[in-house]
Amino acid sequence: MNTSEAKERLFLYRGPIDDADPQFEEALAHARRDPELAEWMRQQNRSYGTIRSKLREIEPPRDLAEKIIRERPIPLRRGWTQIIRKRPIPFPRGWTQILPLAAAIVILAGITAVWLNLSQRGRHSLVQGQEIVVKGEVLDMACYIAYNMSGPEHAACARDCIRRGLPVGIKSEDGKVYLLVGANWRRGEPLNSQLAEYAAKTLTVKGKVGTRDGFAMLTDATVVSFGVETAFPEPVAEDHNIASVASFVAGKRAAKR
Amino acid sequence: MSVDPEFENLVKLYYRDLYRFGFSLTRSEADACDLTQQTFYIWANKGHQLKNLGKVKGWLFTTLHREFLQMSRRQERFTDEPISEVADNLPHVSADVVNRMDAQTMLEVLGQIDEDYRAPLVLYYSEDLSYKDISDVLKIPLGTVQSRIARAKIHLFQLLTQDNHRCHQST
Repeated sequence: MNTSEAKERLFLYRGPIDDADPQFEEALAHARRDPELAEWMRQQNRSYGTIRSKLREIEPPRDLAEKIIRERPIPLRRGWTQIIRKRPIPFPRGWTQILPLAAAIVILAGITAVWLNLSQRGRHSLVQGQEIVVKGEVLDMACYIAYNMSGPEHAACARDCIRRGLPVGIKSEDGKVYLLVGANWRRGEPLNSQLAEYAAKTLTVKGKVGTRDGFAMLTDATVVSFGVETAFPEPVAEDHNIASVASFVAGKRAAKR
Repeated sequence: MSVDPEFENLVKLYYRDLYRFGFSLTRSEADACDLTQQTFYIWANKGHQLKNLGKVKGWLFTTLHREFLQMSRRQERFTDEPISEVADNLPHVSADVVNRMDAQTMLEVLGQIDEDYRAPLVLYYSEDLSYKDISDVLKIPLGTVQSRIARAKIHLFQLLTQDNHRCHQST
């Protein structure tokens, strides 16, 4: 073995951990006879030790071990065959990873709305039809369902989410939540752009109540009154849709100025 | 919930090493946590199948790596590449150059190396595993492990040297 071959072999040598590995024996013997090669090997080992210590500086989150132990699956034997397992809970992600979830909710809401429309035409399988009036907080449904976020402290986020097209809903004063499907959504007039400014604020809406798999919604929803507009002087005609109400309020504001 | 002391001891013994390996593969804290947790989850369900308890560490690393591959849905083909084809001129990077870096920078540099080469390189550096153990963990032949580590090390040294030059130019 010449020096070049010994170097090539010792390039992978890490020190005591590899001493028992016979592939390094001959090269190590060569290094003991060649001071220049021995010095090159020492430098290599120093660089190995430094890179190793840098990588071992990486520390996991403090609560990781505790969480793993807490979420440990407990095999519960039933008879001799069946084992119940508890799945670990995924760790939280950033916004970029939440978006697919939000997209899934939007798609589900869309499918529900389309299905609702088809059902109205055909089988009428929905438990629905009764017109009701609901007063409550305007919700961004993605954040509410996924993370239970609502209220004034979440208003800015809810406004953004609704403006971006995520499903919008209302939480009534008795705590019941309805997905809102506007009267004119088929004509390309979604509720979102009209309701975004009222995220986390109180509105009164009217619509036909319906449920699908236990999920409540108000279809053909129209705004009866804006709770935030305490000085709102006149009741809105029942056939006004949200756009007309919004323009009405805007006109009132302009008149005050 | 009752605590299983054996499971708890095992977690405390290896979760850091597994997390580091997962983090170097994914470069995402949440993914590394998931991989670590999933590895222990699989251990809790299937660990009793391991006859030789001296191989627990290798088993855990193998499991984490397999979960990572499933997560990234990678289909790999392994070929045996002789180590003698590595390079004619072996580069060197001084310990001082590495010392000037923090762990995060080191990870970013590692992240530039292809995953096929990064996984054996990280095990080579950060874990006390023999080449045979690394080969078992990654399920690739011993010759390929050594070849990949050597190539990855050369690439790492080149990147570290470039990074060091950039630092000097910018200061």
